[in-house]
Amino acid sequence: MTDHQVRKVVIVGGGTSGWMTAAALAKLLPGRARIHLVESEAIGIVGVGEATLPHIRAFNERLGIAEADFMSWTRATFKLGIEFRDWGRIGDSYVHPFGTFGRGLGDVDFHHYWTRLASAGVAVPPLEQFSMACTMARENRFALPSTDPRELASTFGYAYQFDALLFAPYLRAIAEGLGARRTEGRVVAVDRDGDSGDIRAITLEGGERIEGDLFVDCSGFRSLLLGEALGEPFEDWSRWLPADRAVAMPCRTGTAVTPYTSAIGMPAGWRWRIPLQHRTGNGYVYASAFVSDDEAAAAIRAAAEGEPIAEPRLLRFRAGRRARSWVNNCVAVGLASGFLEPLESTSIYLVQAAITALVELFPDGSDARSDRDEFNRLIDMEYDRIRDFLILHYHATTRSDTPFWDYVRTMPIPDTLADKIDLFRRRGRVVKYREGVFLDASWIAVYTGQGIMPEGYDPRADLPSLDSLARGTETLRADILRSAAQAPDHLAFINGYCPMRQAA
Amino acid sequence: MESRAIRTVTVVGGGVVGWSAAAALKRRMPMFDVRILPLAPPADELANRITSTLPSILGFHGDLGIGDRDAVLRTGSGYRLGTLFADWSGAKTDYVHSYARHGHAFAGAAFHLHWTRMARARHAGPFDAYSPAAAMAREARFAPASEGTGAALAGYEYGLQLNTGGYLAMMRAFARHCGVVELAGTLEGVRVSAEGGIASLALDGGREHQADLLVDATGPAARLRSVLDDRREDWRRWLPCDRVLIASAPLVSEPPPLDQVTAIAGGWRWSAASPSATSHGIAYASAFTSDAKAARQLRVATGAEAPGQAVAIHAGTRPEPWRRNCVAIGEAATVMEPLEWCHLHLAHSAIDRVIAMLPDRDFANVELAEFNRQHMAEAIRVRDFLALHYAVSQRREPFWREAAAMAPPPTLAHTLALFRNRGRLPFHEEETFARDSWLAVLFGQGVIPRRVDPLVTTNAEAQTVATLAAMRRQIDEAVPTLPTHAAFVAAQKRQLAR
Repeated sequence: MTDHQVRKVVIVGGGTSGWMTAAALAKLLPGRARIHLVESEAIGIVGVGEATLPHIRAFNERLGIAEADFMSWTRATFKLGIEFRDWGRIGDSYVHPFGTFGRGLGDVDFHHYWTRLASAGVAVPPLEQFSMACTMARENRFALPSTDPRELASTFGYAYQFDALLFAPYLRAIAEGLGARRTEGRVVAVDRDGDSGDIRAITLEGGERIEGDLFVDCSGFRSLLLGEALGEPFEDWSRWLPADRAVAMPCRTGTAVTPYTSAIGMPAGWRWRIPLQHRTGNGYVYASAFVSDDEAAAAIRAAAEGEPIAEPRLLRFRAGRRARSWVNNCVAVGLASGFLEPLESTSIYLVQAAITALVELFPDGSDARSDRDEFNRLIDMEYDRIRDFLILHYHATTRSDTPFWDYVRTMPIPDTLADKIDLFRRRGRVVKYREGVFLDASWIAVYTGQGIMPEGYDPRADLPSLDSLARGTETLRADILRSAAQAPDHLAFINGYCPMRQAA
Repeated sequence: MESRAIRTVTVVGGGVVGWSAAAALKRRMPMFDVRILPLAPPADELANRITSTLPSILGFHGDLGIGDRDAVLRTGSGYRLGTLFADWSGAKTDYVHSYARHGHAFAGAAFHLHWTRMARARHAGPFDAYSPAAAMAREARFAPASEGTGAALAGYEYGLQLNTGGYLAMMRAFARHCGVVELAGTLEGVRVSAEGGIASLALDGGREHQADLLVDATGPAARLRSVLDDRREDWRRWLPCDRVLIASAPLVSEPPPLDQVTAIAGGWRWSAASPSATSHGIAYASAFTSDAKAARQLRVATGAEAPGQAVAIHAGTRPEPWRRNCVAIGEAATVMEPLEWCHLHLAHSAIDRVIAMLPDRDFANVELAEFNRQHMAEAIRVRDFLALHYAVSQRREPFWREAAAMAPPPTLAHTLALFRNRGRLPFHEEETFARDSWLAVLFGQGVIPRRVDPLVTTNAEAQTVATLAAMRRQIDEAVPTLPTHAAFVAAQKRQLAR
């Protein structure tokens, strides 16, 4: 008695976003969506070795992906957080952990007690020493978290660092196994309905015409359907996020395989270091107004550790997003909908958020205006919150060594962010969200890691005596060290759990 | 350096909200000097007169260390699992709004998506038949979910049916026991400071009273906060009942853990019974029903005579309940008709928020703005939930037609459009009512999504029918093994006496 027709979904573009979409729709909407993905091998994919957020685990789980198998195929490593070096000022280093500070229990967040001790003149170590995730990361250790909330080993989460060039084929095998079709070819024309404006079909270089009910734009920066064909305007955020290029250069892994990604401040931006099992990704994200491409390439050559395995590759982009991600029968997923630099590893998260919303709001023939509105409301919320969080990293600095840092240090910031910073500075308060990608601990890590220290604290932190508080934090630190010491070395854990498959 | 920390707090208002605020502030911030000026509560402060509370009251008690023995048994109160809504979508229809999980997810999709599919095919029972709490409530049985009720009866919360006099006395005694100091006298005036806060309160006999922080719990008049400014957002067009009459009635021998709200031609009336009191009330719109007519309707329907005047309700909220050193809580902040019994819940939530967001004596705008933002987000969604009951009613009388014709607030309009289209509910921060509450009202009032979600059609229809039937059977078999509400309370009281 079903009143649904099967919808034909045409995905334009392969790569991580295209194949994540294809695999998820094929898996989660069996018999509801017929998937046809069009990609061109002539068009390179952007994947430069991807660092992810813990949310990726839920995505993989829904697709029935076995963790060790997936890690072994994609030559993945574990990720407990992101190390930020030279951000607040040159020489600084802090870790943004996937986990809480302290034990994460009780009404009052740990950093309020920490602030109270510091303001009473007690010598307290940096906040990250009270995070299990940061401590394990600093010691290059990893173990899977515990599910027992009484244990410190339950206070962290984790994500992966993997080879995006291997992730897409891994997902492709899943998608094709579930019946998704793939056509090789370059899109040369988009045919739209004159009345509704809906996309009716795309035409490929060889003349093949592919019709569909729903078109998913995974074409990357080009935004071939949403941007070019439908003309959805782009909201430019480059006044706050001026980096517009990256130069990427992978190296053989010669140095430590850290269970974290590093983001290191540079004269006109920052560079990433993402250790995989077989290689280490490096790249310099920079603002072309402040440094030339040649200088940037030279800088990444000089900074990268280990023997290069490819020439530096240049990428261009612009921070911002399309005013709407879903217009007519076209949904943009990933870079086609917007771009935020990978400073906090949000690219794949945004792909995943769009896919999750699309599955829940999958169109079914009748008027889908409210579905589109809800989809766009959800995606906007994600982009806006991440945007503010990224701007914080640039704004909260005392660096004045280059014109770039002078610009970002003094640029006007969105009011929404200015209020958040002010709120934290006054009394360590973080605007609480129940949903959204970065929760309290993330904001606290970046604020305190980049020199925004609370002037006051929650009055309830005054309830215990100063002595018992000081003793309690000492005990906590000792417990964390002891728990962390029980975890094996990161690489040793990987070698036992998910060693990479050797190339055939 | 001089400390800017708040040290003295004075709560003004002697109703349940005022005493609860004073008790919570002193108990959770023992270093504060907490005083209360317990002005006699006004008749229009409904928190003192509405006996039904939401489940959140138990969390509020828990934070204070007040157990059920003191809060429920010794006050002569009882438990409640929900509300029976009668005649809301036309005569002879009813549904129970319980605070429960309805069914459980299976075959990779939420229960309500499966239920929608089967309801459209007329293969499903009423939505509330899959709520263990609703089934218990209809049978007048009660047990808390934790105590041996088994898997079929898991996943529900309950609120309290208060004996308001006994409860207020308990809260007052508890506050005084914690160290709250009671001020004597009456409020003669409020002196505004140069910064736009409250410099002092003028009490009778020419006395002046000062405190770092003043909590206005004086009810809708907001006798402190309204002196600073009287900016309010008006919600009367969405919450059409602007009058309430309340009457008490004789005890009933077996009070059910279920109150009843019945839609009538010009509004609605309710009945609620605790082990020590029964109350009836009527909410109506003055444009359609005179006070005399409402009193007559209440008397005819329940036999209860309403003493005193009808209470006027000006539905709306203050966008800025906290300004400088004065924070308005309860009905001093938000006024609404009593539908869904949110008054005490919103007051508790505000008290918790005051404690969680306490600033210092600088009362920095950025800190108060965050408090006020959360307040607005919460109040708007409660308003939407109440307005929902009117927006989707199918009654034909002029009062109901006018209410249903009113364009809903944008947030509710979005919720309704999305739900009608495909059974999805948008996520909002600061939501009071859980998804299942929204579903209970939407489905209960006959709003069935136009489309069946593709996620559920992969399961064979016969299999879905069987799964739904099994869930219902489990509940139906488990409920009769439970004690009646009266027997449960009596057993607890016997334990207390030992």
